[in-house]
Formats: sequence, C-alpha cells, structure tokens
Amino acid sequence: MIGKLDSRIPSGPIEDKWTQCKFENKLVAPANRRKHKVLIVGTGLAGASAAASMAEQGYQVKVFTYHDSPRRAHSIAAQGGINAAKNYQNDGDSIRRLFYDTVKGGDFRAREANVYRLAELSVNIIDQCVAQGVPFAREYGGTLTNRSFGGAQVSRTFYARGQTGQQLLIGAYSALMRQVGIGAAELFTRTEMLDLIVIDGKARGIVTRNLVTGKLETHLGDAVVLATGGYGNVFYLSTNAKKSNATAAWRAYKRGALFANPCYTQIHPTCIPVSGDHQSKLTLMSESLRNDGRVWVPKKQGDKRPAAQIPVEERDYFLERIYPSFGNLAPRDIASRAAKRMCDEGRGVGPSGQSVYLDFTDAINRLGAETVAARYDNLFAMYEKITDENPYKVPMRIYPAVHYVMGGLWVDYHLMSNVPGLFVLGEANFSDHGANRLGASALMQGLADGYFVAPYTVGNYIASEKQPVIRDDHEIVRSTLAGVKAANDKLKSIGGKTPAETFHKRLGKIMWDKCGMARTDAGLKQAATEIAALKKDFWNDLLLPGDSSTLNSELEHASRLADFIELGELMCRDALERKESCGGHFREEAQTAEGEAKRDDANFCHVAAWEYQGDGKPALRHQEELKFENVKLAERNYK
Amino acid sequence: MTTANFPRLRTSVGKKFLISITGLIFSGFVLSHMAGNMLLLVSAEAYNKYSHALVSNPLIYLAEAVLVIALLTHMALALKLAMENRAARGVKPYRPTNGEKSTNLGSRWMAQTGLLIFVFLVLHLKTFKYGAHYEVTYGGQTMRDIYRVVFEKFHDPLYVAWYEFSLLVLFIHLRHGISSCLQSLGIASSRNPNLQIAGWVFAVLVAGGFAIQPLYLMSLGGQP
Amino acid sequence: MKLHLRVWRQAGPEKPGKFVDYDLDGISPDMSFLEMLDTLNLKLVRQGEEAVEFEHDCREGICGSCSMMIDGNPHGPDRGTATCQLHMRRFADGATIHVEPWRAKPFPIIRDLTVDRSALDRIIAKGGFISVNTGNAPEANTTLIGRDLAEAAFEGAACIGCGACVAACKNASASLFTSAKISHLAKVPQGHPERKHRVQAMVAQMDAEGFGSCSNTGACEAACPKEIKLENIAEMNREWARSFFVRE
Repeated sequence: MIGKLDSRIPSGPIEDKWTQCKFENKLVAPANRRKHKVLIVGTGLAGASAAASMAEQGYQVKVFTYHDSPRRAHSIAAQGGINAAKNYQNDGDSIRRLFYDTVKGGDFRAREANVYRLAELSVNIIDQCVAQGVPFAREYGGTLTNRSFGGAQVSRTFYARGQTGQQLLIGAYSALMRQVGIGAAELFTRTEMLDLIVIDGKARGIVTRNLVTGKLETHLGDAVVLATGGYGNVFYLSTNAKKSNATAAWRAYKRGALFANPCYTQIHPTCIPVSGDHQSKLTLMSESLRNDGRVWVPKKQGDKRPAAQIPVEERDYFLERIYPSFGNLAPRDIASRAAKRMCDEGRGVGPSGQSVYLDFTDAINRLGAETVAARYDNLFAMYEKITDENPYKVPMRIYPAVHYVMGGLWVDYHLMSNVPGLFVLGEANFSDHGANRLGASALMQGLADGYFVAPYTVGNYIASEKQPVIRDDHEIVRSTLAGVKAANDKLKSIGGKTPAETFHKRLGKIMWDKCGMARTDAGLKQAATEIAALKKDFWNDLLLPGDSSTLNSELEHASRLADFIELGELMCRDALERKESCGGHFREEAQTAEGEAKRDDANFCHVAAWEYQGDGKPALRHQEELKFENVKLAERNYK
Repeated sequence: MTTANFPRLRTSVGKKFLISITGLIFSGFVLSHMAGNMLLLVSAEAYNKYSHALVSNPLIYLAEAVLVIALLTHMALALKLAMENRAARGVKPYRPTNGEKSTNLGSRWMAQTGLLIFVFLVLHLKTFKYGAHYEVTYGGQTMRDIYRVVFEKFHDPLYVAWYEFSLLVLFIHLRHGISSCLQSLGIASSRNPNLQIAGWVFAVLVAGGFAIQPLYLMSLGGQP
Repeated sequence: MKLHLRVWRQAGPEKPGKFVDYDLDGISPDMSFLEMLDTLNLKLVRQGEEAVEFEHDCREGICGSCSMMIDGNPHGPDRGTATCQLHMRRFADGATIHVEPWRAKPFPIIRDLTVDRSALDRIIAKGGFISVNTGNAPEANTTLIGRDLAEAAFEGAACIGCGACVAACKNASASLFTSAKISHLAKVPQGHPERKHRVQAMVAQMDAEGFGSCSNTGACEAACPKEIKLENIAEMNREWARSFFVRE
C-alpha cells in the first residue's frame, strides 16, 4: 500500500484541532506559490470553490470538467438548503449541536474531528456566499431566514427558494471564472480525467481525454485534487445527473488510493416514483417539503380508493406515529426504510403500489395556498410537469431513490488520500457523513472542503515536499497515457451486439435489488455472482458505434460503465463484510424488533478502506478505528 | 457621425442608446409636425401663417441640422446593427420559422419599416418642401401658399393612398420603436404594460393625427 | 405513440449538416423529450449507427445543458420549461417533430445538436462576479437586504445559462443572459462597488464574442426556461448609462 492509514488528526481538544492544524501547517510564501501547479478535477461546489480559492492564493491552478461549462456540475441541482450553526433563530443551535446532530445522523460512523471542523466552518460558508451575492431567502427586516431539515430540532438551513445548490454553485463558479478571466486559473472544459499519474508514490498528474477531439493528454503538477462527486449512478436510476460517474475516483483507486465504505449509499425518501421502463433518471422532491407535507399510507392493505376519499381515521401518518419527536422530519435513511416497510406491507399507493403520499392538504388549509406556493411552487410545478398531477389538489406520491453516497476515496484530516499529493473533496471522499448524511449537509461539506480546508492543507503538502521536476516524456507519464489509450481501444475492439445502456440498466437492477435499501448475506453473494457474469458479458458483447476522435457519448458511457461494474462488485463486497446495520447500510440480519438499524459497535466501529490488488484479485480490507470521545456512542433514536 | 472617438458608444448598448435618442428626437418632431398640421383643419390662412413663421425663423436651420444629423445617425447605426445582427444569427432559419414562442411583427420589421419611412421622407420633402411654389398675401405680407400644395396633393386619391400606407408603416415603426427606445435607454422595460400602452397611444396619436388630415381635406371637396 | 422525427445531423463544425428522418414507435406519453431521444439513440446504436449527440445532464431543468430547437421553439412549445422537463404528452400521436441545434455564430456546432456555448462563460469571466476573495467576508447579517430586493435579485440569478435566449433571438443577442447577471449583482449591495466596471466589461465581451444587439423583440423572454424578464435588459442599459456618470 502507498502511504499509511494515518488519519493525522491533530492532538488537543476537539474545539482546537482545526486551529492547531492550521498553525502546524507549513506555508508557501506568496511569491513562491506561482511556481506550484495544482490540478483540480471537477467544478462542482468543492472543485470550483477550491480552484477559485487556490488561484486567489496565487497557485497555478488547472481545473478540469467534462461539462461544456463549470456551471453544469450536479451540485447545481441541490434544492433544499445548506446547514450552518449560526443560531440566527435563537433556538439553541451551536457548533457543538450541529456537530452532534451530524455525528448522530451519520449513525456514529464518521470521524469526530472532521465533523467538528465541518460544523465550525459552516458559519464561514454563509458569510462567504453572502459576500458573493448569493440571494439567500430573507426576513422583511433584511436578515437571513432559515428552514428546518431532517434530523435536527433546530432551524438552521439557509436556502434560496428550491434552488440553493444552483445559487451556491453559481457563486463558486463566478469566483472561479473571475480567476479564469484574469488568467490565474486555466479552465479545461469537455475534458475528462481518465487516469492518475503516480510517480515515486506521489500523485503528480492526470491523463485526460478531450471529449470533442478524442485527444489524450497529460497534465502534471505538484498536487492533484479530485472533486468529482459521487457514484450513485451505479444504480442506473438515481437522482444523480446522467453524466455523474465514478471514473476519476475509481482510476485513482486502481492507482493505489483506498476506497472507503463504498456500501454507504443514501436512499432519499422523497423522490418521484418510477413510471415505466423508459425512465432515465429519478427526480428528487426536496426534503424541505417534509416541513409542511405529511407522509401517510392507508391503514388497510390494498386500499385503492383515491386519497381524498380515505377518511383521516383510516390513514396512517406513519412517520408521525413511529417517530413522534421528529415526525415527518425523521432522517432520510429512517424515513426511507419506513416508507419501504409500508409498501412491503401492501399499503403502498399509486398504480404500482410502490409509493406513499406526501400530503399538503393540512398545510394549505392552515397557511393558505399562497403561502404554500411561496415556499414550494417551483417544486410543485416540477412535480406536475413530470407526473401530470397537481399537488395542490391531490397528494404527491413519493418513493425512496438513490441520492447520495457517503462512501468515497479514503482521506485523512487534511483531505489527502493515502497517495501523497492526491486530495479528495466533497462527495468524492468519505469523510464527514458517516453512514448517513443529513439533509442540507452536502452543500456544507463541498464548500467547507473547497473554500476553507483544501487551500490550507494542499499548501501545507506543497510546502512540505520537495518535488523533482517531471516532464511529459517521463517514462511513467508515457506509460500511464499509453494505458488509457489501450483501455479505450479495448472497449472499441469488442464489437459485440449490446449497447452500454442495456448493461447499465442490468447493473442498476442488480444493485437496487440486492445492494439497495435492504441487504442480506445471500442477496449480496448472489449479486457478486451476477455482477461477475455481467462483467464478462460486457467485455464480450459491448456494441460501441462511432469513433474515438470525435464527440462520442456512447464511448464516454461505456468507459464509465466499465468502472461502475467494478465498483458495484466492491460495494457488494463491502456491504457483505459489514455485518451490521448502520445509517444507509441496512442488513436485514441486523435489525431491532421494530425493524430499525442495529449497529454492532464492538466489531464495526471502524472505516473499511479497500485497497486494489490488481485485476481479478479481491481487494484488501483495511480498517481505521473510529474513536468517539466527544459524543457518546448510543443507539440512534428519533422517537 | 462616427463613434470611433467614443469607444463606449461603439458597444452594442451604446449604439442602441444613440439610435434611441435620435429616434426620440424624431418622434418629438413628428408629434409637433402632426400637431402643427392640424391647422390644415382650421383654415388656409392659419396653416400658411404657421408655416411661414416656422421657415422664417433663423433657428429653423439649427433645428434642421439637428434633424439631419439625428436621421443620419439613426439610420447609419441601425443599418450597421442590422448587418451585425444578421452576421451574428447566420442565415439558416429554423424549421418551422414561427413557433409558438415567436414575437410580434413590429419588432421584427424595424429595419424594413424604417427604410420605407426614409423613402417616404425623401418623396415627402420633394413633394412639399421642394415642391410647387405658389404665393399668397395676407395683410400685405406675401408668403408661400403651402396650403394649396397640400390641398392639391390630398385630392389625388393615389397620393392619399400612398400617404395613408406610409402612415401605417410609421405606426408599426413607432409602436415598437417608442417602447423599445425607452427600454434601450434603460428607462423601463418594454414589456412594462404602461410603456406598451404609451407606445400604442403615441403611435395612434401621431399616425392617426396625420391620417385624418388628408381625409378631412378630401371631404371638403372642390378645387383650391 | 408514433412519431416522425426530423433531426439535424452534422458530423463536425465545418461539415455540412442536414435533417435526417427517423420514425419511432411505442413512445410513452410519460416520457420526457430526452427519454424519447434516448429511445431513438438506443435504436440507432442497436443498428450500429452513431447516436445523435445532444447535451443533457441533470434532467431536472436546472443544469442548463439541454439545448435544442423543437419545431422552431427553444426547449419546445411550453413556456418556462427546459427540454428535459418537456414531456411527450405535449405532442400529438403521429406528429412530425423538427429537432435542431441552437443556431448563432458565437455558438458553433460541435456535432449534431451539440453547440459550443463557452462564449457565455467568457462573458461571466469578465465581470459576472463580486470580487471577494475567500476569507474576506464579513458576518453575513451585517449586510441587510430587504426581502423583496433579495427576491428580485434572485430573479436574475435564476438563469441557468442554457443559451435559449440567444437561440431564440433573431439577432443572436446574449442581452438577456448578460443582463440577468448584471441585474442580479446590481440589486444586492455587495455588488455595488464594481457596478461600473462590471457592466462595461460584460457588454464589451458580449460584443467581442459576436453576439448581436437587442431589438427588444422579447423572443428571449418567451424562450427562457426560467422565465427571466426583459426588464433585466432595461436594467443593464440603465447600468450602462449610469456607468458614464459615476466613479468607482
């Protein structure tokens, strides 16, 4: 293994760790920064904010996105909001409470020190975004307002209508484009990272493909920062964007970076249900809807009456019933599983019986349709466009869907992977959400990592390392490039009969059925067999028209899918080895009498970090023990 | 007039500014012209005296100079923008060319209506300002009998038809032009309903005012 | 549903392009327009033909990737709708549908329905930001912004940068795009110190990219999937006029 599994958590009380870390960090003098090149892959919240901040500091920044513009990154689609411990609502919030809620929300599977830092930085993020002109929602007096989100009993979520992710991303994008405009950052659009260049055990560059011309290129630097998002599309149907993929992270894994907790996936409870085989993606309905919407199913099995004809006493408002203190705002994993149990009991609604109601009738009666519209109109309109049903008149129907992955490349406190010089930010790393992420925390993490953590820790790395100059003709640079070319040629040469799309749907079905909301020992073993067969079929029967020297979305898809298949294998393996339930990982063998997740702290209070051992060989499982010194390990209770 | 020395005016927004200002100058002119011509409906003497007062005032040369410069600026910049716009868009039309989201006629035909108005203007000057020269004397003062020129022309059905057609074109140009000028000058959005109404009212007032004049004179019948 | 598609196919920027006819059967009215194109592509790929290249990503109407002219309408016939949110139930069974790329000189065609919209990014790079480095920010609530003003700023900030305004405009003007950003940043006090520079730099870049000027036709407003108002262009013009008289 390259490097060590050393979390590098600074000593001292948790409140002082980040201050201590920043103080201990070595610095690069302003005049010297321009001599150092940082390669940043991805332009979502984490990537764009890191690229802007490091260019502002004076580093030579090269930033890469496979989109036509940095602004298309999928952070843009986050709807509900961003958490920050500002305590503007005077409801008892604090950094420590946000820290506590996040650790508990993550079912005690996150690293305390990272989470504390996240909570600490949350307040700076809001300040920074407001200074950039992000139009957050406000009170009439001109101060910022908040809404409530799942897993918290305080109101700490800042929002910009239902488009918070968009507004935050545009803020980070603007900051980045300002640096691009003055030449401090160099932007490569329609450029996809296909490999990591590791020399002397350190990350020194990347291989990219120009998606328009097909040209393969190498880019070298002092550090590589991956901010490439999550891998939810391994399930084919998810709320991720169509192009979201695991390729950059997966190729880094194959170069020695450890992959942590790949099985931790978040199933979001409020998505628009699947309507047919043609479905290409699932659309999320913001968690914020659960502030005013009430979730229910009929008490009777197979009750096919329209919602309006079912009297209140024959309805089961199951979240309010089971989790009275959090009610409809129970955390995502809990709410999703509750919805699944209702459907499994035969009480689901809609044509397929695979959905539950999210009903705004009471809110409309209480607040008036106008107030409800002011809060959610864009979401209601989106729902109506997709389903052709008006949520002001009939209750929305929702069902859980894959939304986010807590797993990702293993990083230490500095957000550096075990490969020195390879930093991983945002959803692409594993660090802050444990086994379940609370709503409105992904935006917080992406921006904390990009604006406030990486600019310090990458600088420390650069200051600490004396790097030899590497040129394009270096043997390893050339061989890595040649490897990418060979891999693309191999895909092209299969000459089979089945399009990538078909394989992807097949993979998605295996993953959803056997490594989705509920997992079993037998199911996961079965999934491993099925994926192995799928992998074989893929490499024997892939049909890939077009050539690789032009824009070719089929080639892009196939290349990403090849990685998804391998990642799917690892996810099942990780899920199989983690013989406990925690957060988004629910093993049917490990549940309480009420069907809640049952952790096994004695055996699994650790991070599983997987090391690649070569093609066809099983990955090696490493463990990083998690210590809880500030939050007491306890059963997660939202009742 | 060139904008070469004013780099900021050379931007697309700057050109639109100049086009708008000159357009508004001309709008003011046509409005006052229309109002003055209402004297046609009062009497020959009133109209001739008004006309004489105008042309004998030395400030008329300044006013004409302003109008000529405004006209040339308006046209030159509008043509330049029209060419730039054509280049920006390319020639390939969409199929079909008029989808549900396409826009009102006036806004798409400003260059064409503008050119027609220019043609009208040249002919109009030739017909009236530089047309037949009759004289008339009121109280010992001899002056041009412009009323007679107008009266003759407005009894020629072909001429009146062309005149009314030109006013329709002017109406279309003004209807979009007024609100568009105010939008280009940043005063208000051209989608502002009040501004839309203002555009309509102005265009109806000017074109309508002019339009009734020949109709009234024709209704009088007889010869001058 | 049965459909007859006429799709613009073009192999590269300098290559000639043409409409190619495709017949599709078994289209569900619940499909989105992009899912209908997915179906077409799957059929083409199965036949060993090259897929139609079109931009798409989030399929939730927010990333601004999708960009196609559908029967002469940017993003199709519905107002306030991006192509990904357009559903086939909007079309009649047996309909013929023309699908074309955005057409504008500053948006060269890359392939099929995919165009290069990087000119829009370059406009932003010239001034579509507030110059505040990370770490410089004061406490968020020290800047009070009235609720209505914040909402008004949001209207411009809601732009998704899809380029439908340019595609719709007979002049290929980027005025609505540019003005939406200028208007957003002119409304919030944080944006005030560099208002003059911003409007001048962004307008100059808009021209340099070869976009046409605004004829106030309102086609952009009709085409905008976020229903951004023409009022923003008036505000941009106002900002531009103001820039002559202020010092920064």
